[in-house]
Amino acid sequence: MKKVLGVLVTLLLLITLAACGGSEDEDTSGDNGGEGTESDGPTEVTAWAWDPNFNIRALELAEEAYDGETELDLEIIENAQDDIVQRLNTGLSSGTTQGMPNIVLIEDYRAQSFLQSYPEAFYPLTDYINPDDFASYKVEATSFDGENYGLPFDSGVTGLYVRTDYLEEAGYTVEDVTDITWSEYIEIGKDVKEATGYNMITMDPNDFGLVRMMLQSAGSWYFEEDGSTPNLEGNPALREAFEVHKAMMEADIVRLHSDWSQFVGGFNSGDVASVPTGNWITPSVKAEESQAGNWAVVPQPRLEVDGGTTASNLGGSSWYVLNTDGKEAAAEFLANTFGSNEEFYTTLVEEIGALGTYTPGTQGEAFEAGDEFFDGQSIIQDFSNWTEEIPPVNYGMHTYAIDDILVVEMQHYLDGRSLDEALSNAQDQAETQLR
Amino acid sequence: MKQLMKKNNIGWLFIIVSVIAIGMFYFYPMFDALLLSFQSGMGANLEYVGFGNWSRLFNDPTFIQALINTTTYLMVQVPIMIVLALFFSVLLNDETLKFRGFFRTAIFLPAVTSLVAYSVIFKYMFSGDGIVNQLLINLNLIDVPIAFLSDGFWAKIVIIVAITWRWTGYNMIFYLSALQNIDKSIYEAARIDGASSFQQFLKITVPMLKPIILFTTITSTIGTLQIFDEVVNITNGGPGNSTISISQYIYDLSFKYTPNFGYAATVSYVIVILVIILSVIQFKVAGDKE
Amino acid sequence: MKKFKRPLTYLFLSIATLISIYPFFWMIVSMTNESVDVTQGRQLPGTHLFENLSKLFDQVDMVTALTNSAIIAIASTFLTLLIASLAGYGFQMYRSKGKDIVFNILLLSMMIPFASIMVPLYRLFGKISQTAPFLGIDTLTAAFLPTITTAFFIFFFKQNTKMFPKDLIEAGRIDGLSEIGIFFRIYVPTMKTTYAAAAIIAFMNSWNNFLWPLVVLQSPDKQTIPLLISNLGSSYAPDYGMIMSAITIATLPTALVFFFMQKHFVAGMMGSVKG
Repeated sequence: MKKVLGVLVTLLLLITLAACGGSEDEDTSGDNGGEGTESDGPTEVTAWAWDPNFNIRALELAEEAYDGETELDLEIIENAQDDIVQRLNTGLSSGTTQGMPNIVLIEDYRAQSFLQSYPEAFYPLTDYINPDDFASYKVEATSFDGENYGLPFDSGVTGLYVRTDYLEEAGYTVEDVTDITWSEYIEIGKDVKEATGYNMITMDPNDFGLVRMMLQSAGSWYFEEDGSTPNLEGNPALREAFEVHKAMMEADIVRLHSDWSQFVGGFNSGDVASVPTGNWITPSVKAEESQAGNWAVVPQPRLEVDGGTTASNLGGSSWYVLNTDGKEAAAEFLANTFGSNEEFYTTLVEEIGALGTYTPGTQGEAFEAGDEFFDGQSIIQDFSNWTEEIPPVNYGMHTYAIDDILVVEMQHYLDGRSLDEALSNAQDQAETQLR
Repeated sequence: MKQLMKKNNIGWLFIIVSVIAIGMFYFYPMFDALLLSFQSGMGANLEYVGFGNWSRLFNDPTFIQALINTTTYLMVQVPIMIVLALFFSVLLNDETLKFRGFFRTAIFLPAVTSLVAYSVIFKYMFSGDGIVNQLLINLNLIDVPIAFLSDGFWAKIVIIVAITWRWTGYNMIFYLSALQNIDKSIYEAARIDGASSFQQFLKITVPMLKPIILFTTITSTIGTLQIFDEVVNITNGGPGNSTISISQYIYDLSFKYTPNFGYAATVSYVIVILVIILSVIQFKVAGDKE
Repeated sequence: MKKFKRPLTYLFLSIATLISIYPFFWMIVSMTNESVDVTQGRQLPGTHLFENLSKLFDQVDMVTALTNSAIIAIASTFLTLLIASLAGYGFQMYRSKGKDIVFNILLLSMMIPFASIMVPLYRLFGKISQTAPFLGIDTLTAAFLPTITTAFFIFFFKQNTKMFPKDLIEAGRIDGLSEIGIFFRIYVPTMKTTYAAAAIIAFMNSWNNFLWPLVVLQSPDKQTIPLLISNLGSSYAPDYGMIMSAITIATLPTALVFFFMQKHFVAGMMGSVKG
């Protein structure tokens, strides 16, 4: 009997080993890389990022542009943003550095959350970059405790994309929608709807991007300046953002969508007359070639509170180096490319239309070139001018948690609850939750 | 006696691998999670807070909303699906029916799709200008498109419809197989006694299928209590939190917000407790000792 | 009465079939349309099938992902069946009080939501990596190791074993077969349909698994199909025609496995439902 059992156990082991054998072969390349830092060959550096046509492409261009002393072998790993967040959290919280990358892209809204949750996990880049070279709102978002941890990358500078043909039909010119307030925007929206039948804006009731845009344009955020005390109840900018939101719904100028593809479908199909959002939407707008010449970009509308401006930011991310073997090489790579190479930024604009936040790198022909789709407007130049005006705010650690609280309260507010009550509820919830 | 002991020990050898694997990959992490549920803090900075997380649960409106939503899905969806699956299986059990194989395959087919894929497709179907609205408008049932995904009530309906679509055929196969085990002569006898089809269904089919109905009810309950992919991909918990499920909240607490793994573990224990309570109730109701 | 009922039955079944199949129709139609048309819900076939496919195979490593998914699904299906049928057989054929208790405890594991044990599980694999890197983080083995042993399949085989004739076992013993020999020589061949049913479910579960492979697999050459699809959607300007093509291709293997094995499947399920 024992013999048979022995056979069985051996069989099981063999099967397991066979299964592993298959994966082991493929392992070799990866494993060598991890330990390769001390060998003579090029230092292996891995980077995690999302979006093949944008961030991944930018990394590839950076690899080409790199001319530092250390020889590098860059391995770029592509993952969806949510997936990266999940992997980073799982890996960093379990204290296992194995399988973690050297360089990782993190969205600015989440940066403080990572930096403060895993204080030892990131490698300061303070000695590698000159913060004055970057847009100040970006530096604010990527620094913690007096150190610069992130190398600021793309600008999420916002603008109002408008359909000039629809505006014209309603009797408006591009000048009429430039430098306006949100209330004026709503009035124009009503006229456009009456004249053309199209809604002014497409909105996802679950996505608070628009409210965040409004807040930052007035130099305000969900928190006090410390980044952790919720500032909702007595926040004039947030109040006005709520009022504007409700006014839009009541003016019946809103098309509703519930995900990205329906959002894109909204303007591709010509269902809406304007899109206030980040500049990264440009390729999606241009995807519908039949609308060439009918679009223009103007600064986003402003809030009427003190300090209201027409410049804001939505999304955008930065590069971080993890505190693991190979960190010096990774930091050097970033500093040499994204941190100092002006020419490289021109390439970024020419090749992928990516707008950086490195101030010295925002001049040149590539920036001035007009875009036929936007009737010859130099939108890159415009966006990069607006980038410099974005008011810096401290995104704090809990942007998305507050977002979710506010989305619910917004729903109550639209259903008839008073604004005071909605915001004070939100404030209470935020205080209990973020204690 | 000795012979029996030996046999008993051999029996243990058959199951040892499973016991070790489940212990290692389920119970050990579960125990780890239990310890976590008494800790709180951001990311890696955890400290023991005793029952702090547990008391926080009852003052957390998002958790309460998630609990309500999840139980709503459960109470509405599981009965509808079980009844539908039974209904289809009885229809398809008729050997004289033409195209039986075709119908069976078609109704089962949704079960081969990945959760993410089918959720994405359902989101499209129920969007503002999606096929469902177009159909309803063409049939003159409605004038204006229904905002299926941005209305709290309708969004819940869409989720329920989606899960039912995905799992009805799957459960139907269990019933269909069980029906084939029922001796045809029992029905024959009932028919001679003048029992209608409906009576036959209630008096013969349901009692005969009781163990398997219980089994599918429990597995469906477990599945629905853990519902995640559908909610995330179809409505992402919205509008507001009106469709958020407990599992999605666990995910949000761990990965969307600044991670608080301790509190997330506490919320997940609520699911474990719920499943145990519901399974016990279902066993009691079914009155089965197995 | 009877004449009236038949058309109604067909009507019900036809409606159910239509509802069941429509999403597949739309998925396949979208595979032939370009992104803009997909976002606008176009219902007619387009002319972009070839373009979508070539983009898919040029831009992303579909072949590697398919290979990885296949390796993981086949290995994990095989091991799931082996481990679970041994256990189901053991629990049923060598019943004892102790084993019944252990069985009930194992059933409890079905109630744990995966999201809650993910972080501890990852930590465990971090430890495994240090002693046995070939089983640790970022290996294909790690992607299926925790999911091959599930209480569901043990329960499934235990139920099926109830209808396995005991005389066969006695006959085997008289022929001088060992207990293990009886299992492999007599039980396995007799229970073919049960294995087929379990194989279909195990294969589908493994093929579609997302959350765990996501955290434990990191290199691009280890990517599975669901991970690849998730990446495709993450872009600032996602290409929906291409995504739909990927989804369709990802659904094909599970659909084929079902089509080819469905006879055994239905027969195999029968055993599991015999009280």
